[in-house]
Amino acid sequence: MSVLEMRAVGKVYGQGPSEVVALADVDLSVGPGTMVAVMGPSGSGKSTLLTIAGSLEAPSSGEVLVGGTGLTGMTRDELARLRRRSIGYVFQDFNLLPGLTAVENVALPLELDGVRARRARQSALEALDRLGLAERAGHFPDQLSGGERQRVAIARAVVGDRRLLLADEPTGALDSVTGETVMRLVLAACKQGLAAVVVTHDAQLASWADRVVFLRDGRVIDRTMPPPGPESLLGADR
Amino acid sequence: MSGGGLPARIAVSRWAWRLFRREWRRQVLVLALLAVAVAVTVFGLGAAGSALPPGAAQFGDADYLLVLRGAGPALQDEITAARQAYPAAEVIDHQNIAVPGSATPIDLRDQSPDGPLGRPMLRLDAGRYPDGPGEVAVTARTAGLFHLAVGAVWRQNGGSRTVVGLVENPNNLLDAFALVAPGQIGSLDHVSVLVRATAAQFQSAQRPAGAEVQFRGNAGADPTFIVLVLATVGLLFVGLLAAAGFAVLAQRRLRALGMLTAIGARHRHLRLVMLANGAVVGGIAALAGGAAGLAAWLLLAPRLETVVQHRIDRFDLPWPQLTATVGLATVTAVAAAWWPARAVARVPVVAALSARPPRPRPAHRFAVLGAVLLAAGLTLLVFSGPDRAAIGAGGIAATAAGVLLLAPLLVAALAAVARACPVAVRIALRDLARYRARSGAALAAITMATGIAAAIIVGAGAAQAAAPGGGNLPDDELIVWLTPGRFEGPVPQFDTAQLARARSTVASIATAVHGGAPLPLIGVVSPDARIESIDGGATGGKPVAALGIPHRSGRGVEYHGNEMIPLLVAGPEILQRYGIPAASIDATTDVLTSHTDLSAYQLVGAGRQRESWRPTVQHIDRLPAHTSDPTALITEHGMRALGLTPAPVGWLVTAARPLTPAQVGKAEEAARVSGLDLAVETRPPAADLARLRTGAAAIGAAVALGVIAMSVGLIRSEAGRDLHTLAANGAGRGTRRRLTTATAGALALLGAILGTAGAYAALIAWYHRDLHALTGVPVGHLTGLVAGLPLLAAAAAWLLAGREPPGLARSPLE
Repeated sequence: MSVLEMRAVGKVYGQGPSEVVALADVDLSVGPGTMVAVMGPSGSGKSTLLTIAGSLEAPSSGEVLVGGTGLTGMTRDELARLRRRSIGYVFQDFNLLPGLTAVENVALPLELDGVRARRARQSALEALDRLGLAERAGHFPDQLSGGERQRVAIARAVVGDRRLLLADEPTGALDSVTGETVMRLVLAACKQGLAAVVVTHDAQLASWADRVVFLRDGRVIDRTMPPPGPESLLGADR
Repeated sequence: MSGGGLPARIAVSRWAWRLFRREWRRQVLVLALLAVAVAVTVFGLGAAGSALPPGAAQFGDADYLLVLRGAGPALQDEITAARQAYPAAEVIDHQNIAVPGSATPIDLRDQSPDGPLGRPMLRLDAGRYPDGPGEVAVTARTAGLFHLAVGAVWRQNGGSRTVVGLVENPNNLLDAFALVAPGQIGSLDHVSVLVRATAAQFQSAQRPAGAEVQFRGNAGADPTFIVLVLATVGLLFVGLLAAAGFAVLAQRRLRALGMLTAIGARHRHLRLVMLANGAVVGGIAALAGGAAGLAAWLLLAPRLETVVQHRIDRFDLPWPQLTATVGLATVTAVAAAWWPARAVARVPVVAALSARPPRPRPAHRFAVLGAVLLAAGLTLLVFSGPDRAAIGAGGIAATAAGVLLLAPLLVAALAAVARACPVAVRIALRDLARYRARSGAALAAITMATGIAAAIIVGAGAAQAAAPGGGNLPDDELIVWLTPGRFEGPVPQFDTAQLARARSTVASIATAVHGGAPLPLIGVVSPDARIESIDGGATGGKPVAALGIPHRSGRGVEYHGNEMIPLLVAGPEILQRYGIPAASIDATTDVLTSHTDLSAYQLVGAGRQRESWRPTVQHIDRLPAHTSDPTALITEHGMRALGLTPAPVGWLVTAARPLTPAQVGKAEEAARVSGLDLAVETRPPAADLARLRTGAAAIGAAVALGVIAMSVGLIRSEAGRDLHTLAANGAGRGTRRRLTTATAGALALLGAILGTAGAYAALIAWYHRDLHALTGVPVGHLTGLVAGLPLLAAAAAWLLAGREPPGLARSPLE
């Protein structure tokens, strides 16, 4: 069963002369352990696709299912619970809460879901440890480097029993070496059974994915396997 | 645990607390403004509880006060009757001592400092109390008037007394008197009897028939009303400031809150972040403000004594109300955080993540509700009063809520006028409308700050003008009467030389106070009246006619001095002074008056045959309302009907500014040295209105400037991208300065106009029965507020616009 399934999804902003079609008739299915890269020029609808997949926005048409459950008709609170339990987000600009330490940022989704602070902290520490950040757990975001912050964001996105990882340009604010490290971590998360959708402009990073979806003007114009290149060597390590 | 339960709330609250600790500098302005509002409220509660003259000033520990007038055996009989009716009563004899040059006599009283009921009315400041014949203690004012000191000999009415001490009435520092030992007054003018009794006891006793009775409960307004109204206004102000501040804060945290939603937080969690912050900020501000207000009160209360004119017990505060105010300030801050919290929780996640402010709601949505609340508030104020405190408080609350809801509409109206403005001003005004969630709340807070200041500026003068006991004259007027009896009793018949000397004296007084030409006051006398001696001296004159309310008692008909109205001739000079065209006076009119009803009054001093006169009265709004001013003018028709003839009684002098004590002293000295027994009447000394008004304007402007700084900073930082676009298109630093200046100036101007208009609307509703009280418009202070505040805000914005604090534009995400 697909972790994420989008069926004929469309999204229209505005009305009348100011109407903008952001997505049109998009179908996408992502299974467990699969990483899908979404590419396309600016304004092609990549980020809209991600926000609809993550239940942050409702589609104008079509249907979205996460873990086999349709999002249509869910209440706000049910959608929030879904995000806490099943969906992890990684943003280009990290989006860590400045008042919380790294471990507290990671534990936050668990605590919001009602997990006791001590248990949530334990799980968060384990997640950080897996990402090599155990010794930085007590640091605040502004005491971490860009790469470390993005690793904390990934830890927050995968902590608990998440099944779907959505990343919007996760390496956009990082240098190439750090970006590669981050992609390795996303890939490692997929290896453990997570489904991942990664929006990127970078063809090299897209080559890490199992599948690449190309968007233009809100429509899927191509679906390919990643092109061969140096990254395939890294892929061979998997 | 689908909602996250307690752990989620703890996690969210912890984050809110951490945010506050990290970013408290960004909230320091809100915190400071709230603390100042709470401090001012706490200080105001202390002042309000002490501002009113305490009943002990007149009653001591008594519940009732009997005043016995008359003379000789009849008075002695009444005193005996009073003692028999109330065995525990304290009897105090009084004699009026004329003050040369002044219309206000000094009270000589024979009160015992150990009296069972009157003890709170006496305090010894120096020397000792008199305890035998030939000794006297005087108040500071009496000592000043007669140039006395402890050890000096005071010669008065042919006798002499040694001054043995300086005393005061601690509950009324304006009480100018001299104290002698009991039984040491020879010629009594009246006797006061202090009685402590329950209503039933008092009513059941057989008291003297001619006694005037005063009840302690009626002695002054209930301070509870002032305290309640002040607390309501203070908390409303705290709420508006907090709402404006938290609206700013919510926008700054929009991205962080959007991220929180993205990882699964519910709307209630987002609201909790803002509410927790509101609780922390409100709690700290309430405690800090409460402590600061209390400290300020303890430090400044002694200085306030000279304003309220009675001693103040600094620790005699309305503690329950104070504690409740500090607690409610926290609750108000939390409540004020709710609205921005609700608004920010409703922002779509994607918009929040990109920090896009929510689309402004149509301004008219709440305008109707605002108009209804404003109308309801003003209506409640019309029906409120000192005995209807809850209605008054509700009226103020509804008026403020109405202004809050109308503010966005007015901000939107600014954008409508922007089309014709230069580009920087146009952008500034349109940005105010775009970000009207912030600018609307800020405008409401600025309006409230300037409204409170304007209400104090206008209301202080109005309260004084409307005060029944203290409203004899405005503070910039004085009257030089021909006799200490003012317009009652006989007036001297001067020859030409004496009249010229009197005119010269009055002219010199008018010059000294930078006043205009003195207005002659002409009374009326009966030509057939016999000449009476004035104060038992050699001078004599005919009694001048006046209007008074008759009171029938065992001694016959009496007229109380505080109810007497001067009856002056409606001559050309007086009509011209008050702008009354002669043609507007009906041919059959006998009396022109500003009083709404004269039916209870009788003509006094013109002979018994004229007491039943029922004049034809014409109401004239332009005539003044103060009781010694020309409030009733008799026309030629009236004089002919009664067969009265004119007789000069005095001159009215209007000074350029409110009179100072030094000017009053000099005027009294000039009257004294004239040798004509002239008497100067002025308004009794009271609070320094000018200082009060200046202080109110300054504090109101300072708070409004704080709110403007807070809002303008945010609005301009939100529009930072526009600035970059402008810069890319060649706009320089000047454009940025003009943008910020226009934003600050527009907010300040609108707030000042609205606040002043709102204050006037509320005061008109409050004084609707006596609008005369509002005729003295303090133009200087109001101009300073309405024009000065926008200019100050614009100037500050111009100076600071070049250096925008980087923290304002920084997103609270890492």
